Amino acid sequence: MIFIIAFKNVWRNKVRSLIVIASITLGLTGGIFTVSIITGMVEQKIRSGINNEVSHIQVHNPEFLKNYESKYDIPKADSIAGIISNIPLVKAVCTRSRITGMAASPNAAAGIQIMGVDPAREKKVFSLYTTIPDSSGGYFSSTRKNQVVIGRKLADKLKVRMKSKIVLRFQGSDGILYEAAFSITGIFASANSVFDETNVFVRKSDLDKIMGGNCGIQEIAMVLNDNNSIPAVEQALKSKLPGLLVQNWMNIRPDMSMVTSAIAIEVYVILGIILFALAFGIVNTMLMIVFERTRELGMLMAVGMSKSRVFRMIMLETIFLTLIGGIIGMVLSSALIALFSRHGIDLSDFSKGLGAFGFDPKIYPFIKKELYFNLSIMIVLTGILSAVVPARKALKLKPVEAIRIE
Amino acid sequence: MNIIEITGLSKVYDANTMPVYALNGVDLAFQQGEFTCIVGPSGSGKTTMLNMLGGLDSPSSGKIMIDNTDITGLTSRQLINFRLRNIGFVFQSFNLIPVLTARENVEFIMQLQGVNKDQRDQRTLELLDSVGLNDKINTRPNKLSGGQQQRVAVARALASKPKFILADEPTANLDSKSAEILLEIMEKLNREEKITFIFSTHDSRVVAKARRVVTLEDGKILSDVSSTRPGS
Ligand SMILES: Nc1ncnc2c1ncn2[C@@H]1O[C@H](COP(=O)(O)OP(=O)(O)OP(=O)(O)O)[C@@H](O)[C@H]1O
Ligand SMILES: [Mg+2]
Repeated sequence: MIFIIAFKNVWRNKVRSLIVIASITLGLTGGIFTVSIITGMVEQKIRSGINNEVSHIQVHNPEFLKNYESKYDIPKADSIAGIISNIPLVKAVCTRSRITGMAASPNAAAGIQIMGVDPAREKKVFSLYTTIPDSSGGYFSSTRKNQVVIGRKLADKLKVRMKSKIVLRFQGSDGILYEAAFSITGIFASANSVFDETNVFVRKSDLDKIMGGNCGIQEIAMVLNDNNSIPAVEQALKSKLPGLLVQNWMNIRPDMSMVTSAIAIEVYVILGIILFALAFGIVNTMLMIVFERTRELGMLMAVGMSKSRVFRMIMLETIFLTLIGGIIGMVLSSALIALFSRHGIDLSDFSKGLGAFGFDPKIYPFIKKELYFNLSIMIVLTGILSAVVPARKALKLKPVEAIRIE
Repeated sequence: MNIIEITGLSKVYDANTMPVYALNGVDLAFQQGEFTCIVGPSGSGKTTMLNMLGGLDSPSSGKIMIDNTDITGLTSRQLINFRLRNIGFVFQSFNLIPVLTARENVEFIMQLQGVNKDQRDQRTLELLDSVGLNDKINTRPNKLSGGQQQRVAVARALASKPKFILADEPTANLDSKSAEILLEIMEKLNREEKITFIFSTHDSRVVAKARRVVTLEDGKILSDVSSTRPGS
């Protein structure tokens, strides 16, 4: 009964209620949409980081990671990779030579990391090759020797183009200094410009020839069918490969995993602040309502409506008001997110800045389902908290005084 | 038997600065089935007295016994419950909940009392019928005339089966025709159902219908006259 009266009371002053509801709706829609953009950016950054740069799990010689000295390679890497590829949860495995070196063009030189890969297997684990635009060659599509695939950023730095020759200099695991000319047959452009500036890809077989068959393997990388099975596979590999260091992407790139957990908190902080601000408007409106209804509330208490019922009625009115705005806000924002996530929001005008932080210029807003659940609870709590002051105000009314006002 | 006994009832406002005796040592008793009007000039203490009788206000001194309960000793929480079970109210205005229909307004009191649905429905219809509003049961207060609203208020006041009904100037906002109809209904309920009414007024035509007239002046009883009207 109190429930029904409270609900009907919400619609007594339609204009005012609609203004409050609209402000809640707009505030929340804006907040949720903003949050979805942030979440979408971060999810994309992590996905592209995993897809282009780190994969799910990597195996190294523990010494290698200290100074990236290529002499600390993985013994019998190919047979280990073979064993790993037989694990059913593993989708694909590849092995890589990682050598620190220099790339030089006639114009400039830069410190880089040379990745010696087996292109066919590499493509099953990493999708970096998909970031090569049609106009910028391919990923080892011909069998010519000494091809190199470099990032757009490095190409700009060295002032080189497709088919230009660059010289790679590096120290082999045998300690000897090598130098060879490679021709650029592909230029990739991932979302992470730092990565693009510091990594070049060559065929491992070319490195073997240059070094006389002595190029070791420093890295084994794998992707799984389902990223939920990362801990299980990681655990299995750790016990199978005692002398080697097995790491998942979160260990390899703590910056990436930190962003995920930081953003998870930030999302609620943003929404919490918005709700807090909205609460002031709600409190104000409800105080006005209690003030306007002084006589009616006095009459209700006079004829025998208990204080707890009056309290509950004002409480419910506030919660209804908040919840209606909240629900519309959630529906509206999820429609907005669905609309924009289909084609993405193109921020390429600002993309140079974003790319430097490893973000994609095209953003697909995204929101976790559980957010709506938690947000509903937050909205109800906001309603309850905003109701306390006005409801207490109503309780303080004395029936005689309330009725006497002329 | 007296249902209400007031002894030495006083109410002082602003006791410390400029004391105003709204009521000054009033002794009065009311019996079951009375139809009593409280009159007196403006500021004589009528509202103050009715508020005390209804447990809406507490006296500065004196006792109010209602059916052997001294209501001046009750807490505000106990008073709300006491009012709900024992006293019906008709105010000058703002009697009804605007978002509820006539039927729902009457039913509301019984819902507060915890009466079951079947009984509520039946009694609501009977009461609205007895105040002559059986064609307005689903109408909201803003679509009712002032007189009709006051009749709903009477039905609402009766709904809780109170020991008596207090009405402070129930006709003050009504035209004379509506005032007359309201009074006729109250009189009929008093005559046929033995409902006790205590009301105040400034209107001499309303006073004329009363069977007992208590006149207040400066917070004291000036006169207390019972008459036997023809036909009762
Ligand atoms: N809350 C209050 N504070 C101070 N004085 C009050 C208060 N309420 C009433 N009074 C005073 O008490 C006296 C009695 O007031 P009351 O309202 O009972 O008169 P009344 O007979 O109902 O008058 P009316 O016919 O105008 O309604 C008046 O002098 C009034 O000014
Ligand atoms: Mg008065």
